[in-house]
Amino acid sequence: MNQPIIEIEHISKVYEMGSEEIFALRDVSLSIYPNEYVAIMGPSGSGKSTLMNMLGCLDTPSSGVYNFKGLDVNEMDDNDLATIRNKEIGFVFQTFNLLPRASSLRNVELPLIYAGESTTKRKQRAEEVLASVGLQDRMGHKPNELSGGQRQRVAIARALITNPAIILADEPTGNLDSKTGVEIMKLFHDLHSKGNTIILVTHEEDIARHAHRIVRLKDGLIESDEKNSQPTYYETI
Amino acid sequence: MRQIIEGILIAFDSVRSNKLRSSLTILSIAIGIFAISGSTSAIDSLNSSVSRQLQEIGEYSFSITRNPKVSFSIGFRRFARRKPITYKLAKELQSELTTTSLVSVENSTTTSIKANTGITSDPDVEVTGVNEYYFTVNNTPIEDGRAISMEDVFNKQSVAVVGNDVVVKVFNGNNPLNQTITIGSTNYTIIGVLKSKGAVMGQSQDNVVIIPITTYNEKVNDNRFSSVDITIKAFSKPELIEIMDETTGILRSLRNVKPGEENDFELLSNENVSNQFSTFTSFISVFGAASGVIALIVAGVGIMNIMLVSVKERTKEIGIRKAVGATRTTILFQFVVEAITMCQIGGILGVSISYVGLLLLGHFTNIEIVFPINSILLSLLICTVLGSSFGLYPAWKASKLDPIEALRYE
Repeated sequence: MNQPIIEIEHISKVYEMGSEEIFALRDVSLSIYPNEYVAIMGPSGSGKSTLMNMLGCLDTPSSGVYNFKGLDVNEMDDNDLATIRNKEIGFVFQTFNLLPRASSLRNVELPLIYAGESTTKRKQRAEEVLASVGLQDRMGHKPNELSGGQRQRVAIARALITNPAIILADEPTGNLDSKTGVEIMKLFHDLHSKGNTIILVTHEEDIARHAHRIVRLKDGLIESDEKNSQPTYYETI
Repeated sequence: MRQIIEGILIAFDSVRSNKLRSSLTILSIAIGIFAISGSTSAIDSLNSSVSRQLQEIGEYSFSITRNPKVSFSIGFRRFARRKPITYKLAKELQSELTTTSLVSVENSTTTSIKANTGITSDPDVEVTGVNEYYFTVNNTPIEDGRAISMEDVFNKQSVAVVGNDVVVKVFNGNNPLNQTITIGSTNYTIIGVLKSKGAVMGQSQDNVVIIPITTYNEKVNDNRFSSVDITIKAFSKPELIEIMDETTGILRSLRNVKPGEENDFELLSNENVSNQFSTFTSFISVFGAASGVIALIVAGVGIMNIMLVSVKERTKEIGIRKAVGATRTTILFQFVVEAITMCQIGGILGVSISYVGLLLLGHFTNIEIVFPINSILLSLLICTVLGSSFGLYPAWKASKLDPIEALRYE
């Protein structure tokens, strides 16, 4: 097997609430390899959000080792973390998190602005990824002119634009009706078949069953980490 | 560069989406810039206009008047008690001066004139009685015919030299030489036409009739106690100073000014006009700058306020930007550029208002308006400094936001 993209060893995250110490994560170890499709599952308060923030380089662990593509994340400063987020991680959020006043195209090209890409290249690439999620005729629309499913597609296009090493989706269907949710899960399935590495954070069993590996968290600990030999295909829902 | 453009685009976006709040802030900046650039532009224009006039007085000339011609200080009342500088006094001064110089004496009034063409002018023609030195001293060349001569003055001839406006108005532009005009009840033969001088400070210099001062004193203004204007031309700078000293001495003794008392007349040379003028302009500029600075500080506080609110409102946006890879520096930069952009919009507005104001001023006063390039540069500079200094703290606050917290913010 090849090198893991993400390799965390014995990481913990402690929040201080007054004099009390609260462990959001305790001694968690996890490796994620290229082209894996992993669901991180757990009820609220299980530490899955903390783990996702950590994996997404939005947060750093209190203790333990986090290697991203062999680089030690604990050693990185704010700017390095921003660069990793920009180039290597594509976020898809439950609430879409699009810039409300910007068109789909502007939203999608945003990461490339921070990557310092030229205007023409940016536009070309943004049109490409928007087309790949089926929004070629919605490029000039603003988020409030789009349906929920279309907004999430814009967000996915934004996540894809830098060709990131992983796509990190946090409850991507949480704000969508079930029919639209299925469409979005089909899109993730397609992305996975094209070779993308996907990490899906969810508390819904149905959604988690789409992944090929399911990691269950409880009280900041990994409860189980097993292969899903029969992942749900979109046709069967 | 790309970051700057991006910042400016975001700035315009945020101005658009917060129209009222932004326009109030922009307005306050515009007022500040207006005060500063308006006063600098006005001073530029006045300066160029005044220095042009000073050139006309001539380098080595000075004039003697009863009251100050140009005064920017208060206290006009004390001049009212001064004795007139009569034509008789001027003659005495002329005969007592020992230093080589030309002494021009003049007195004038505005009235209407009638030509032998039957046309009567508006009562706005300046009729000036002069002696023979007037034309040389005041740098008034003759275009056609001849000037007033010593004989004309001595013999109180009824002759006149007219300006171009008079030719146009009452002679329909035809050659006026040897024609007659009537002022009061006296007929004057036209012996010369002045070279056109154009307008200064909105006053045409060509709407004039020049006659011998002796004739003037008899026919136009027979009040022996009316004051005349005397202009004396020297031929070098040291001579000028010498003559000014001598003149002061002679006039004081002729007018019985006791030692220790202030002169009861005014000597006005090129130099002290420009001195007085610069006192005046520095007053304007200090006043303009002070009120501008106050307005700008208020505007700066406004900018800081609006930016703080803006950062708060856009916490989520900042979170999104950070999640997709914006660094602290980028965020800081974005908000500083936004503040500067808002200031520049105000600045452009302020400079435009002051330019329009100047054009209006120029329209009504005929002061030639200097394009306010200085104030444009000044405004650019001020707005950049203002935006970056007052925008820095809100921008720093934005850049320090924790991306996770920011994303969660609703």
